[in-house]
Amino acid sequence: MTGLKGFFSSRWGPIATGVVVGVLAPILVKLGNPGNMGICAACFTRDIAGALGLHRAGVVQYIRPEIIGFVLGALVASLAAREFRPRTGSSPFIRFFLGMFAMIGALVFLGCPWRAYLRLSGGDWNAIPGIAGLVVGVLIGVVFLKMGFSLGRNRPAPKALGWAMPLLMVVFLAFLIFAPQFGRDAEGAATGPIFFSAKGPGAMYAPLLFSLAVGLLIGILAQRSRFCTIGAIRDLAILRDAYLFWGVVALIVAAAITNLALGQFKPGFADQPVAHTNTLWNFGGMVLAGLAFTLAGGCPGRQLFLSGEGDADAAVFVLGMLGGAFVAHTYSTASSPAGVGAFGPIMVVVGLVFCLVVGLTMRERRT
Amino acid sequence: MSEAYGVVLFFTTSSAIRGEKVAKRQGLRVKLIPTPRQLSSDCGMALRFAWRDADDVRRCLEEAGVENDGLHRI
Repeated sequence: MTGLKGFFSSRWGPIATGVVVGVLAPILVKLGNPGNMGICAACFTRDIAGALGLHRAGVVQYIRPEIIGFVLGALVASLAAREFRPRTGSSPFIRFFLGMFAMIGALVFLGCPWRAYLRLSGGDWNAIPGIAGLVVGVLIGVVFLKMGFSLGRNRPAPKALGWAMPLLMVVFLAFLIFAPQFGRDAEGAATGPIFFSAKGPGAMYAPLLFSLAVGLLIGILAQRSRFCTIGAIRDLAILRDAYLFWGVVALIVAAAITNLALGQFKPGFADQPVAHTNTLWNFGGMVLAGLAFTLAGGCPGRQLFLSGEGDADAAVFVLGMLGGAFVAHTYSTASSPAGVGAFGPIMVVVGLVFCLVVGLTMRERRT
Repeated sequence: MSEAYGVVLFFTTSSAIRGEKVAKRQGLRVKLIPTPRQLSSDCGMALRFAWRDADDVRRCLEEAGVENDGLHRI
């Protein structure tokens, strides 16, 4: 056990996590998940928002067990390692909006950083401007960090607070399994939610137990190794340290090999699954997402893992992502394979202005 | 025997960056590193220093008012 513990604390931890994600994500696609979307923290949270009825885009509604697994896996790992520490107080209200705009930006590109890397390894070259935007967003965030940006420190909180998010995930799991119908029309007939897509990406999913198991495994590994796709770029920029970065490289390489082996590697720009070819806004959307994630201290995956180990501020960020899904699919800012949404570009600009104001005004208070 | 090191843990990334700045201004040999995994902390960055400088590092951070989560020998 000590050996295993040491392994995940070592520089091999993020690499091992990256390899596991890189191998399992394409397998999830093979087993039913949408193309190049074996795992996507943004898309999957968006699907959950749709299933709950927070938006009514009928093609993207499903309670994704991977997300539930992420949180519960991190919970289990943190409990086992005595790292479960309920805490809060680091500007949760601001974090809600960072989560919201991160989601809005990600849905202009059509994917979180994880999916950006997975799209790249599936041969979707539209991911390249997305990843370039992500790097630019993180670097802008690093400038703010160097100028003294801070959301303030958190404080220990009562144990119960840390259990709230895992409990919410258990409720989601129950919704997924029992599919209760809460909506009723005038005649009393069930109208949903809970909604499940009949067609489109929301209707494409791997078997529940397999998805949940993959989510749990990744949640455990990532909690132990601190795998973070945003921290990877940030630490490279500030510390010149590639500890987390090698995890991302491992993910891309492992996923590319797995995609090749499964016959899922299809290089090109056109006709990629759940993607569009607008280079400018593939880039712009991810600048916003990268900046918002950096200001909040981690990629969406990391926010989910943190929420599982008791970080209530990260949990609020995740709620903000649900809110962002509501905005994106109700106010026509989300892209679709047909192209960028009507209000996508303007909302990216609004989000960037919001992040710039936050970055300039939220500063460490000197003690 | 190799030189003994210590790290300062912080609550936020910006404290860590400010900590590095003030320590370097005092001529202390410090380096920002990813927080050693076995030392759990809220912030992913820690400040490494030679353990024999521990008192100077502590004083320097205190004088500059950089909030931290303590000095730890590694």
